[in-house]
Amino acid sequence: MKSNTRLFLTAFLACTMMTAAACSSTNAPSPSPSPSPSTGTTEQTNSGNTKEEKIKLRVMTLTTDENRNNIMDQFIKPNLAEAFPNLEVEFEPGGGGEDMANKIKTYNASGDMPDVFWNDAGFFTSLNQAGNIMDLKPHITESGFLNKYKVPEALEHFDGKIYSIASGADTYFTPVIFYHKDLFEQAGAEVPQTFDELIEVSKKLKDNGIVPVATPGKDGWAPKLFMLQQMVQIEDPEAMSKLVTNETDFNDPAVVAGVERMERLVKEGVFADGIANLDYGPAMEMFTSKRSAMLWMFTWELPNMAKIEGVDFFPFPSAGPAYDQNKVVQFWGSPLNGYAVSAKTAHPDEAVQLAEFLAMQDALYFESVGSAIALETGNTASDLDPLMEKFLTWYNGAEVMIPSMALNSLDARMSSEMSTQGARLLTGEYPAADFIKVMNQEWEANTWFD
Amino acid sequence: MKASYVLRVFWIVMGCTFLFPFYWMISTSLKSRSEAYENQFGLPSTWEWQNYSEVLSKYDFLLYFKNSLIYTGGTIAITLLVGTMLAYCLSRMSWKWNGMMLFYVSLGLIVPIEVVVIPLFQLVKSLHINDTHFALILPYTGFSLAACVLMLYAFLRSLPKELEEAACIDGTNVYQAFFRIILPIVMPALMTQTVLIFMRVWNEFPLAFILGARDQFRPLTVGLHSFFVSVGVSHWGLIGAAMLMTSLPTMMIYMIGNEKIENALTAGAILK
Amino acid sequence: MNKYFSTRLSITVFAAPALILFTLFCVYPLLPQLWMSFHNHNGFQNLGFVGLNNYWSVMQQSSFWVAHKNTYLIVGMSLLIGLPLSMILALFIDSQTPRLRRFFKTAAMFPAILSVIVISQIWVAFYEPNWGLFNTILRAVGLDNLTRSWLTNSNTVMVSIGLTFLWQYIGLNAILLYTGIKTIPKNYYEAALIDGATPFQVSTRITIPLLQDVIKYVLILSTLGSMAFYAHVRVMTAGGPGDLSRTVIYQMYYTAFDTSQFGKGTAIAVIFVVQCLLISFLIQRFVAREKVEF
Repeated sequence: MKSNTRLFLTAFLACTMMTAAACSSTNAPSPSPSPSPSTGTTEQTNSGNTKEEKIKLRVMTLTTDENRNNIMDQFIKPNLAEAFPNLEVEFEPGGGGEDMANKIKTYNASGDMPDVFWNDAGFFTSLNQAGNIMDLKPHITESGFLNKYKVPEALEHFDGKIYSIASGADTYFTPVIFYHKDLFEQAGAEVPQTFDELIEVSKKLKDNGIVPVATPGKDGWAPKLFMLQQMVQIEDPEAMSKLVTNETDFNDPAVVAGVERMERLVKEGVFADGIANLDYGPAMEMFTSKRSAMLWMFTWELPNMAKIEGVDFFPFPSAGPAYDQNKVVQFWGSPLNGYAVSAKTAHPDEAVQLAEFLAMQDALYFESVGSAIALETGNTASDLDPLMEKFLTWYNGAEVMIPSMALNSLDARMSSEMSTQGARLLTGEYPAADFIKVMNQEWEANTWFD
Repeated sequence: MKASYVLRVFWIVMGCTFLFPFYWMISTSLKSRSEAYENQFGLPSTWEWQNYSEVLSKYDFLLYFKNSLIYTGGTIAITLLVGTMLAYCLSRMSWKWNGMMLFYVSLGLIVPIEVVVIPLFQLVKSLHINDTHFALILPYTGFSLAACVLMLYAFLRSLPKELEEAACIDGTNVYQAFFRIILPIVMPALMTQTVLIFMRVWNEFPLAFILGARDQFRPLTVGLHSFFVSVGVSHWGLIGAAMLMTSLPTMMIYMIGNEKIENALTAGAILK
Repeated sequence: MNKYFSTRLSITVFAAPALILFTLFCVYPLLPQLWMSFHNHNGFQNLGFVGLNNYWSVMQQSSFWVAHKNTYLIVGMSLLIGLPLSMILALFIDSQTPRLRRFFKTAAMFPAILSVIVISQIWVAFYEPNWGLFNTILRAVGLDNLTRSWLTNSNTVMVSIGLTFLWQYIGLNAILLYTGIKTIPKNYYEAALIDGATPFQVSTRITIPLLQDVIKYVLILSTLGSMAFYAHVRVMTAGGPGDLSRTVIYQMYYTAFDTSQFGKGTAIAVIFVVQCLLISFLIQRFVAREKVEF
């Protein structure tokens, strides 16, 4: 199970984000699992002249966590037959992360793409270059599905096309530091305001026999997805914004300082032992079972964290006057995660309708569990969890939003290299200078912006 | 004397460590989520039998088991049949390419299956067998043939020619001679191959992961792996239960037949 | 009778099915690989012929050499530590009373019949730094300074994974060797004992030389098996931390799939296959050339 950090994580994120997406996108206020898009769907099955013969569609879904299993069992499967009496859908569990990426790439190489599948920034480029992924914009504009999104533009890739539907709410994903209040008290520690205080707090916790920080480090998950970016932007948000848009490189002094901060965190013993091989699940377990005082994690875990007694969060503390942790956030914002349709499907109309349906089921599920849905529609008169409320106040107050570097500036090769190098940095035996050197070489070969 | 005593103790400890995973799987499979961390190696304080029902509800053990059986059984059947036939041809028939072919087939020992996953996938698809169990059986067969042919070749060469000469006189044709006379004689070598192929195919992962990816075609290894990453994640109790259920069939076969398996391996080792 | 049986038809019937299956599924797939290795290929389209550039550029990556170092470390471990241990275990099993022998034979094969995925997962738990078996034992006996995070320390990660591998297959190899020992005629030993040879001399002078064939078989098996070492790494560390525990096969997968450079990935595959050919040639050529007749 530890086999693949990245897979798990990615998958997980994907799910969660999708979740989030779902949440945000659901302005269909019907909490009952009656799939609104489906009705429209069935009527316009114009091409289906033969009602008796069912159209076969293959769908590859994410299958990485409890949420995904629940969506499949409680929403998709029960609602599918009613929504699409004319379809016979075969679901292929895709796993997630690297496993799913490998599978998709193999299908891509052999031209055997599933009709509908979960898209991910990690392999999107390959699919797009091969012409295997469909631009959904015309279809969902016509069907009106696009209008169900609060901010339809958020779905667009930088080329103006829409490749995936699901979320829109992934903008609410940002890394924060969750912590156990009682463990902090026990060690006499206060919420740190600066990077140096963070190190001090960690030392205090350590002296009290408490592991300071758990975060998924296997295969460089945390370093790639948020840590590097956080460590750079807490001193110089502008440099980080530039890095994401390729206006600067890893030699930028602010970037170098950020990498050095990561090195320092490891050397000062801030992380759990064996962090470089710590998987997502075990990292979560470590925090929830109170074997670590802090968890560095994205806010898609916020609904789960809110259920634990005495857990609070704080933003990454500042390392310089240019950064105010209440003004700057990293946001997920990749329009590439979600359900996508193969450009070579034999039944484009049905496939798109199915993708719409799947996205809606995700939304209904996340709404039903009261997750980030609280953030978005007006129909949630239900009591907002205080932790969620706190998060929203902080997040909505931010003035500068820096898109996630991992999702918005790395091609497959660069992304893999960043995982590799990030994991090495976490061993504490790898100098920041070497990291910078390798990353710069890779950065020059990065094809994302071409 | 003292040295041999120490040696003996060392190996007895070693012998126990070989069995340790078995104990570990059983005890872990009965622990609660938190106990698995706090008490990794002791016996469970409370016995959580519901771990098993939870695994059964989320892990389609029977389906994966059935698939594994089909893959392994199919590979063994086809490999043994065609492999023995080729070995027979190479060792007993006068064909000018015999030496050449033997060398050609032995190349198969060297190529690791992991290297050719992508072309294999494309091949399987172009043969239109990608949605059948043959998608894995045939590649496994291709990769098991080399060892099978070489071993049987060695075995057959050691048999006296008089065997078929007698048959020849009786007017038996080559096919009858092969199935009635040769096959029964090479049974021990076939048993060896059965064991070796079984251990290889039953536990194979990289190829199955790509070619046996669809849920209805997944073998146990792939099913177990996705169980680890999707459901088990951090609950070692569930992970232990799934592991034990997956391993139990093999362990039972082994316990019942371990003398036979050993003998089979012996035959193989000597012939090589 | 050879003539009587060897008609063109019978040869075809006997040889063709296996040869076709073998060629189609084992040999043929190597050709697209070879072709791809000379092209800039990203997995779905060919971006042009690049000659030997893929070979050249994969060899310039430090990960490539790390992967080779790791692979040969595993090969070395299984030949220099694993095989001698297996041999000793085999001799040991042979010297036991029938009941103990049965116990050892059953126990020794046990890890080998379990799936790599299961074994690796269990050992991940053993190596876990905070509550894992090894560190727990070390702390219990007061050797706290020897505890470490086995799978993230650059000095221990590969050896730790290798140990799992050795442990899993020592028993299997020992059984193979033991079954060979059983076939050596007893009178050889009796003669030696009459001459006053010690058990050690008996092993080195009689058993091992007479076991040449079996040893060679086990040697080839373990060498090629450890060359293709991959699944343990995948489950235990995913090649990490960073690239420190990648093997050649892992590096091949990584390059082809993770970074979408199939041309380079297949170049690694070709380099790898050449090494395997070379090694098996060397073993065939230099180990146990003469067959010992009893």
